[in-house]
Amino acid sequence: MVQDYVFPGTVEQAVAMLAESKGRARVIAGGTDLVLDMRDGKITADKLVDLRAIDGMQRIVEHDDSISIGASVTHSQIVRSTLLRHHAPGLVDACRKVGSLQIRNVATVVGNVVNGNPAADAAVALACLDATATVVDEQGTRTIPFNELYAGICISCINSSCQIVTQISFPKKKAGEGSSYIRMEQRKALSLPMLNVSSKVRVINSQFQDVQLLMAPVGAGPQHAVTAEDFLMGKDITDENIRQAGVLAREQATFRSSAVRGSKEYRIGVLPVCVERALRAAIADAQEG
Amino acid sequence: MNTKLISFVLNGEPVSVRVDPFELFVDVLREKLQLTGTKKGCGEGGCGSCTVLINGEAVNSCLLPAMRVEGTSIQTIEGVEDNGELHPLQTSFIEKGAVQCGFCTPGMIMSAKALLDKNKSPSKEEILEAVSGNICRCTGYVKIEEAIEDAAKTLRKAAVKGESHG
Amino acid sequence: MANLRAVGKSVDRRDGVDKTTGRALFTSDMTFPGMLHAKVLRSPHAHARIVSIDTSKAEKLDGVKAVMTHKNGPKNLFNAAAPMFLTVSNLERVLDQYLFDEIVRYVGDEVAAVAATTEAIAEKALSLIEVEYELLPAVLDAEEAMSENAPELHAGKGCTPEGKNIPGEIIRIPYGDVEKGLKESDVVIEKSFTLPIVKQVQMETQSAVAQVSGSGDVTVWSTTQTPHPSRAILGQVFGIPASKIRVLAPPYVGGGFGVRIGLSGLAEAIALGLALQAKRPVKMVYSRKEDFIASDTRHPATVTVKLGAKKDGTFHALDLKGIFNTGAYCGFGTELPGVCGAMTLAIYRIPHQRYLGHSVYTNRTSSGAMRGFGNPQGNFALEQVVDMMADALGMSPYELRLKNIMKVNDPWCLPFPCLSTELAECMKQASESIGWEKRESLKASAPHKVRGMGMAVGTHVSNAWPFCVDYDNAYFTVQSDGTVHVASGVPEMGTGVCTSLIQIAADAFGIDMDRISLSFGDTLTTPFDIGSHASRTCYAAGLAIKEAAEDARAQIFDYVAPYFDVTPEMVSLQDGYVFVSSLSDPDAASVVSLDDVKEHKQSKVSLENIAYHAHVRNKQFISTGKIVPKNAPPWHVCFADVEVDTETGKVDVLNLVAAHDVGTAVNPMIVEGQIEGGVVQGLGYALTEEIRYNDSGVQTHSNMHSYMLPTAEDIPPMKSIIVESHDPTGPFGAKGAGECSLVCPASAIANALANATNIRFTELPATPERIFAKLHPQN
Repeated sequence: MVQDYVFPGTVEQAVAMLAESKGRARVIAGGTDLVLDMRDGKITADKLVDLRAIDGMQRIVEHDDSISIGASVTHSQIVRSTLLRHHAPGLVDACRKVGSLQIRNVATVVGNVVNGNPAADAAVALACLDATATVVDEQGTRTIPFNELYAGICISCINSSCQIVTQISFPKKKAGEGSSYIRMEQRKALSLPMLNVSSKVRVINSQFQDVQLLMAPVGAGPQHAVTAEDFLMGKDITDENIRQAGVLAREQATFRSSAVRGSKEYRIGVLPVCVERALRAAIADAQEG
Repeated sequence: MNTKLISFVLNGEPVSVRVDPFELFVDVLREKLQLTGTKKGCGEGGCGSCTVLINGEAVNSCLLPAMRVEGTSIQTIEGVEDNGELHPLQTSFIEKGAVQCGFCTPGMIMSAKALLDKNKSPSKEEILEAVSGNICRCTGYVKIEEAIEDAAKTLRKAAVKGESHG
Repeated sequence: MANLRAVGKSVDRRDGVDKTTGRALFTSDMTFPGMLHAKVLRSPHAHARIVSIDTSKAEKLDGVKAVMTHKNGPKNLFNAAAPMFLTVSNLERVLDQYLFDEIVRYVGDEVAAVAATTEAIAEKALSLIEVEYELLPAVLDAEEAMSENAPELHAGKGCTPEGKNIPGEIIRIPYGDVEKGLKESDVVIEKSFTLPIVKQVQMETQSAVAQVSGSGDVTVWSTTQTPHPSRAILGQVFGIPASKIRVLAPPYVGGGFGVRIGLSGLAEAIALGLALQAKRPVKMVYSRKEDFIASDTRHPATVTVKLGAKKDGTFHALDLKGIFNTGAYCGFGTELPGVCGAMTLAIYRIPHQRYLGHSVYTNRTSSGAMRGFGNPQGNFALEQVVDMMADALGMSPYELRLKNIMKVNDPWCLPFPCLSTELAECMKQASESIGWEKRESLKASAPHKVRGMGMAVGTHVSNAWPFCVDYDNAYFTVQSDGTVHVASGVPEMGTGVCTSLIQIAADAFGIDMDRISLSFGDTLTTPFDIGSHASRTCYAAGLAIKEAAEDARAQIFDYVAPYFDVTPEMVSLQDGYVFVSSLSDPDAASVVSLDDVKEHKQSKVSLENIAYHAHVRNKQFISTGKIVPKNAPPWHVCFADVEVDTETGKVDVLNLVAAHDVGTAVNPMIVEGQIEGGVVQGLGYALTEEIRYNDSGVQTHSNMHSYMLPTAEDIPPMKSIIVESHDPTGPFGAKGAGECSLVCPASAIANALANATNIRFTELPATPERIFAKLHPQN
């Protein structure tokens, strides 16, 4: 039962407030998932530590080579960002797909990642962007690569009773790079993805370089379609190669069936075409410059 | 339990109310402040009946911890009329037949208002996005979309004439 | 009455301002001093016996004021749906339910209820109730439930020659000689179809507040669609006479779509049972999840069609069978299969027909009424087979339908005649709107997409007869200032009753709408009525009001005739003025008082003057309308233009056109709203909406995030067309308009999918997953 709800003014204060409760406090970001999980008794906490009042957390910041998204940045902010539309169109598309406008206005991208759901839209889109998370706790500040954020299916490595992800950063788009996000859904709003794919490519002379191809939900966190990525490296951009990437991704993917979000047969069946479409969109983005 | 006194601006007037630390704002509105115009259709952010505006942005009040309202400006359906005059959205909803059972209507109007407050010439896509989190089971949305478009037109005309609609 | 001033006009709704400003009051908004909040403990098992239940800890919790279980609850058998009270005389009522029973029959069945000072305390109290269950074998599937080895859900009920667990009547509609007809047919097509469980998902969940006065008078505010029948059901449950119970909908109901014909789930009964115990007002509001798992769904069904036709396309025989999974309790389990059969057989002129339909008990949430009431299930099956027949005969689906659709006074299986149909005109206008002539040359927007068009036609009813008891009444009072008060028992659940009934009253009487007030949805202040359902409100309640208005007119004419120095037949009333019928231009006539009119024959007298004139002479014009409605078929078509992504199975509906013959559209804007809303519900039925169960009998789609209602972003371009006819049996020619819109869209969309993909979908919803599986069988 929640006994207290606090608004620390700094990250240090927030960490101290969490520490003081010895595991019985919890960070609340947007809260759109947390409120429901607490109502259903899936998560309990004596104290909620709200990050909203911490200065700087609400901003999308452009650095020389990278962009960082603060812990309180909402999906709506991402959708409206022209900076991100250029540097990470897949992320923008992914954020536009989350819930409804009301939810996007509140739910944070960092929260979407820390939640641990492998197919969370923003998380899948970020996973292909070489993103890193800045984690602060009593031990100090660390930077963790994106793929190390997941401990299991729907289990985050981040312990929200003592750790805070203050921001997620990723490199800016460079020449020849493009990224994309594709998902299958049961309706156009208020729906979770049935499966999703993100991709980042670097295209030089009509050849694939540095292909990142992520898919979900096929494991703990978004998963690299490793064999497809390896296959495409240095290959020409042809319909046949793109098709083959889809086939290879399918060979690697192990979906489970969900009564609500699609059978494994369907997910595996449409994965190749989702991969193809993600790759084509990323290539188009790359060629657009 | 550490109950807290929160203060905010509600439909233009300052309000203070004591809340439990994890009370949801929809319950504060409906039960403590007796503002039952904001409806509770699902309690899980899946229908939009409870939509209110916080600093001008549409949110589901059923997912909003009341504590987070501290220091903000809140608009609910009860505050949409302007000095006893219907807002163009309200007029258009009535005239275009966008109201049936009326249970989704307050939330629908709040979502539409959040849009029109910022954008008086929305595209059809922008209108549909604005109300995509508001389920209406009666109308099929056709007349709702028409009503919002119609209200936008009224607001544009008023803007030309220099009238104001908060 | 030639000049209609209100009927046929899209006047603004009377409840518009209240509903757009947040003032409109719904049951879930009600609050009273000392009011308690109820919560219900529900069965986690699909079928079990409660071996023991210990509520002592819950009772001791501070704030708990009443606890009800099968041990202390009322012990009267009932049926929570309207058949409890509206079953026709030739059928036997199925009473199979206690408020709390020792046996629980589905996941969500009521085990105990608590009333406490806050919802949180009530919730906490539930967790303190200790229940020991003995698990019983459960059956979820209808076919299985009929088999010999199936567990019996209701001891001694439902053992029939057709199988086990079949409640109520097995409906058989014989017409002609179907075996002979099939033999005589040149082409016979047979196919079975599977229809899903879908949910009304009205926006206000099931709710009630019950209050008991010191003298034992009961008041229940409720979300019911049927205040009067609900009162009768509550009376039966608690053994309280109707005279001591008032049920009202206060004043608005947040949607219905059939889910509260009778009680609202069991909200009224639970609130009342606890209020009787606690002697304080009790409020019961279902959570959305409770609404999903513990209030009626649409019946899932298996419908088999065998259609025979002559080479020239003339339909010759139709054999139809429907098996409906009615879940744990019967509800409308007898009436609904009947409507399915009757409405499906009534579309086409077919000399040899037969229908067999019945319900089956299973350990699932009860099925009940949902907009269309059995008709969408049958329509989907038949309209697929009609398209298959067109293919087999090499005819266009349009021409084949046009050749066979019912015409005025054609013989059919229904016990009332078809006196109006503009179905052919509906087909014509809708096909022109969608561009049907391009069907053979449609172009998809991408190489991996295919496109197609489909259509479907159907009918429905304008009231509940002959499937349920149906009669109606209205009170009509001309008040001493000449304004009118009308009382009708139907509630306002969004369909515009409180506006369109006044339109009817205004023109039937001859007065402006704004001089009429309406009491509605309240058993204390309105005469008996069976409620808002069966597309009957305008038709049946409207007829009662019209009759009452005409009686009041006649009383006025009798009263004024001597003053005019004419006979009563020579007087007329329009726009609130009485004048001699021969008056050439009543609008321009001067106004005089009744006492002076003899001298001024070319003048008119205001109702205000007449009513007051009568009043000071101890006379009031007050009347009742008491009608037994006939019935009339509304007709409707839906056309769909769809595109299918063959690589993913995803469907884009490019256009939907619906054309409806609703007789006279009393308020065209409201009728359009009914069409559009129903079409979108049909879109959901076609493509996305479905409740499924896991093997333990738990719903896997029981909230707004998992049950895929169409959102605003899912809506295709749509057009609704009203094609008016004039049905002689309805008020001002009106017929039912509330339900038709949901009947055809899924049938039309599935026909369009078949046209696009060359695959016949026999199961709804046609999700990307199902479409993909059919398109890529090798996967």
